[in-house]
Amino acid sequence: MSETMDVVSPAIRRVRAYFAPVNRATGAPTIFDPAQSGAFSLDAPPAPWIDLGWIKNFKRTSGTKIDAVRTGAPSVTQKQARTDIDATLEFAFESWSKLQLSLACGTQQMNLLKTANGVTSAGSGGTAIAATPLLTGSTASVLQVGTDAAAAFSVGELVAVDVDYASTTGFVGSGVSGAYVKAALTDVDYIRRITLNVARIAAIHSGTLTLEAPLLAGAPTSAMKVSAMTGFCDREGSTFFQEWSALFVGEGQQGERVIWHYPRLQSLAGVAEAVAASSGGYEALRLAGAYRALPVKDAVDGETVVCFRSYVAA
Amino acid sequence: MQNAKDTFYEVMKSRLAALDPDRTIVVRGATRPAILVEANELALEDPLPDCFRLRWLGVTVDAQSALPLVTQRCEIAYETAGTAINSGMDRGRILSALDADLAQIVNAAPQSAVKTNYAGLAFGQPAVAMKTNVWWSDVAFGAVTQSGATLARTATVDVMSYQEAGEL
Repeated sequence: MSETMDVVSPAIRRVRAYFAPVNRATGAPTIFDPAQSGAFSLDAPPAPWIDLGWIKNFKRTSGTKIDAVRTGAPSVTQKQARTDIDATLEFAFESWSKLQLSLACGTQQMNLLKTANGVTSAGSGGTAIAATPLLTGSTASVLQVGTDAAAAFSVGELVAVDVDYASTTGFVGSGVSGAYVKAALTDVDYIRRITLNVARIAAIHSGTLTLEAPLLAGAPTSAMKVSAMTGFCDREGSTFFQEWSALFVGEGQQGERVIWHYPRLQSLAGVAEAVAASSGGYEALRLAGAYRALPVKDAVDGETVVCFRSYVAA
Repeated sequence: MQNAKDTFYEVMKSRLAALDPDRTIVVRGATRPAILVEANELALEDPLPDCFRLRWLGVTVDAQSALPLVTQRCEIAYETAGTAINSGMDRGRILSALDADLAQIVNAAPQSAVKTNYAGLAFGQPAVAMKTNVWWSDVAFGAVTQSGATLARTATVDVMSYQEAGEL
């Protein structure tokens, strides 16, 4: 607002979190440029950032170690050197959805695909009902499946949209890598089980499924199919590390902003929830997570860094 | 401090007018949104019903901050006897509607506004935007009290501001 405000500490009520994918195959994170986009509307982040909502108990910890370089007798500290670069953070999401669940659990998160009656039981969901192919004209928000197929879906139902699994290995999942396949599997629905490309059906009309929010991977390809889901499941002991680019924004009351950008975050803890007291004797289960920041090279000068903190003046 | 109080009132008044344009009162012949500052009006024996009445209570000043941080508590009282057409039997519903209006106008984002000096209005001068913002807490609702056929509630909001150099 003016030079007056440069002297007061930002007074923030809470912190907002945003997600963007890391291309796991190439190792390329999403970089946020605070000089270009630092004043974005909190409700409409710039693409490809996705709003994760408000978070609680945001706590950053620097694990960077600084050692003294001593010479002489008696030894005297002549210089200092950074010997370990490390940073961690922890927080709890205020809301539950596929993305928050995936990031909080830190490993691959399974979609519970609908099963036919009587299939063999499995901890993360039995054999799924055959997926429905998508017809031409489908978009990120509207899935064309045809009138007959649409009758099998219902408004309010969750759906997973992705390609058939075809014995490939490596990172899988459209838009965001949801798992790493070490050895070929036989489940044709495996990618739809782990994909983050999910949405809820808002309306069904004339063979069209209209989604409440656009699919994370954008307009689906003709190779993608849609499977109905009943929910989500994550597994303690799963080996995959989910990695994401993160942005956190604390907005001061004078219009200033503090922005923390972690280009690469991986979970450093197992699956757990934070329990918070709620009204009427209830307890609120919050999705809590702890993360370690991984390094990137700053394009400006080639420095290896794990986090950017920006102050954007009002 | 007065600028912060005036700014908070003006923001609440404009938000109420936008949210619920039918919730109005007639004061000294003028129809306006149903919110007033008691200290700015003629003293009345009985409070105006179906209207948010603001009164300013405690003040604290944190002089250790880079700028003096002023926190003022605003008490917002309101009451209703319901409507005559329903013989007052809708007073509970109307109190709930007042609660909902108050929650929305106070808690809506942003809970801040540019502090504005309205003193010039009395002399035909425009209001002047100041250098800092006013910001406030969520509304805290007190218990309902009943007096005859009237239901009443008092809520509180803490309003914060920085005291600028030379400001009254």
